[in-house]
Formats: sequence, structure tokens, C-alpha cells
Amino acid sequence: MPLYYFHMRDTDTIADVDGTELPHHDAAREHANGVARELMYKSDGLLDESWRHWTMIVHDADGAEVFALPFQDVENGDDDKS
Amino acid sequence: MSDGLMQGHRENRLLAALPAETFALLGRDLRQVSLAQGASIYEPGAPIDEVYFPQTGLISLLVVTKDGGAIETAIVGREGAVGLHRALGARRSFTRATTQIGGKFSIIRASHFAQIVREDPALRDLIGRYTEVLWAEAQQTAACNAAHDASSRLCRWLLQSADRTASERVPLTQEFLAQMLSLRRTTVTLLAQALQKKGFIKYSRGHIAILDRKGLESAACECYHVTRYDSLPAKIGVKL
Repeated sequence: MPLYYFHMRDTDTIADVDGTELPHHDAAREHANGVARELMYKSDGLLDESWRHWTMIVHDADGAEVFALPFQDVENGDDDKS
Repeated sequence: MSDGLMQGHRENRLLAALPAETFALLGRDLRQVSLAQGASIYEPGAPIDEVYFPQTGLISLLVVTKDGGAIETAIVGREGAVGLHRALGARRSFTRATTQIGGKFSIIRASHFAQIVREDPALRDLIGRYTEVLWAEAQQTAACNAAHDASSRLCRWLLQSADRTASERVPLTQEFLAQMLSLRRTTVTLLAQALQKKGFIKYSRGHIAILDRKGLESAACECYHVTRYDSLPAKIGVKL
């Protein structure tokens, strides 16, 4: 299975040092949304920056960007971990 | 009992607090075992055969959900024990109990333990008091899991684990940690990296070291202070 890395960026960067094996891009997108919802649940931001400044940048194993997910586009509803 | 073995058992604060004669009675049947991380202690619904008193390791009580997930409701280290209520009669475990951090444990066959407790009202009373404290901790944890954000819970958890093993170095994979907090592993990795950027922790493969305890405490939810094993009993008027 391909390996995906879910890094975070605002003015600063937080690296996903471990990566996660997922079957395809769609699964990676779902994972990114799930992680974002877990991070945002009951929380205003990270490292003193509001979530609207953060974007999740998803890379493949070669370091190429697969897609970017701005946190402000994530619906912060209940954490329906599926 | 050899002095070394005796000293090992006394690492557990409940055992250490027992009067000498009670400890001597238990001591005949107490054994010392080493368990690795992730060892199964009890499964939900299974009879409780042994009572565990952690010396250096840590036991996690987990509610298992229908989809196979498990979420932690209490952490028991050298300040406590699991399976004590078995002394009140034959009991089955409600939660899954697993070793969250491997280490040394004092264990005793539940039937022997029950027999000693029957003849020792002070020990029976201790079980009641300890159970009240654990019940309070589990209630706070249930509220925490629903009411607080992932980062605060992670900080709370690291501090609780460090206190209950008397070590600022918590030997854990983020995979295990994610399971305990019912989060995706990626979420734990990102939060741990953020806490490392703040200089609160040093995160390496297989363990997390606390570098700035005050900082970590300020980033944890109030549940850490509420469930501190050294102050929770007094809060509810229980002497342990």
C-alpha cells in the first residue's frame, strides 16, 4: 500500500514523521479529514495560531504533494471516527 | 520472603501502606512477575483470577466498543491495583485491562487474596476506599474524553503516566497512545510534534520524555490536576 504523509503548515510547519499506509488517494483524503476533525474538536487552534491559518499538505512517499486541505474547509462537527 | 522481593512488593504504594502483619499474610502468596507492554490482564466478562499491584509498570482499563475499538477510562500504576474488588466475591471484569507500560508487578491469586481479606477488616476497608478513588478517576476521564480537545488530553495522559510510574520518560509508541486516547495515529504524531516545538517534550521512536513539566501542565486540561493520585483521595474525603 502507498505511504502518505500528512504535514501541517501555517507560518510554521509540523511534520508527520511517521506517515500512514493507505490504499489510494481517496482514502488519504478521508484520513486527512478525519485527522483534521480530531485536531479541531473542542479546540481553537494549534501553536497559538487559529485553525483558519493551518493547511494540511499531503505528500506521497517521494515527497510530492498529493493534495492540500485548508482546515477552514473542514466541517468541524462531531468526531465521527470511521 | 527475600529482602529484594519484599522491597519490590513495597514499590507498590497500596502494599507499602499496609500494616506489617497484613503485609506478612499477603506476602506468603504474593509473586513478582515482569510483563511486557500490551500484555492482556483481563478481558471484559472474564473471571478475575489474579489481583495485580503494579511496581514499575502501568495498567490501562479500557472500555471495548462494538466496532472493536477501545478507549481508556482509568490508569493504574504503583499507587493502586486492579482486581481488588474480587475479594468481595466472584467477579468478572467489566473492562479490558492491559499493560500500557511494561514492568514489574506483584500478583496474588484472587482466591487467596479473598480469603485473607475475609479475615482482615482493615484490608476490606482499604478496598472500599481505593475503589471510591478509582471510580472518581473514571468519571473524570469519561468527562474528559467527551469535553476536551485532543492536545489537552494527550498532555493530561503523559503527566498521569509519568506520575504513576515515577519517571519522566514514558516508553510508548504513538500507535499505542493513539489507541488509548481513541485518536488516529497521525493526530497523535502531529500533536506530539507540536508539543516538541514548544519544548515541552522530546519525542522519539518508542518513547516520550517530559522536558518541561510546568509547560506540559499548562497545556493539559484540568483533569490532570483533578485526578492526581496524591490529591484525589483527599478531595473526596478518602484516606488512602
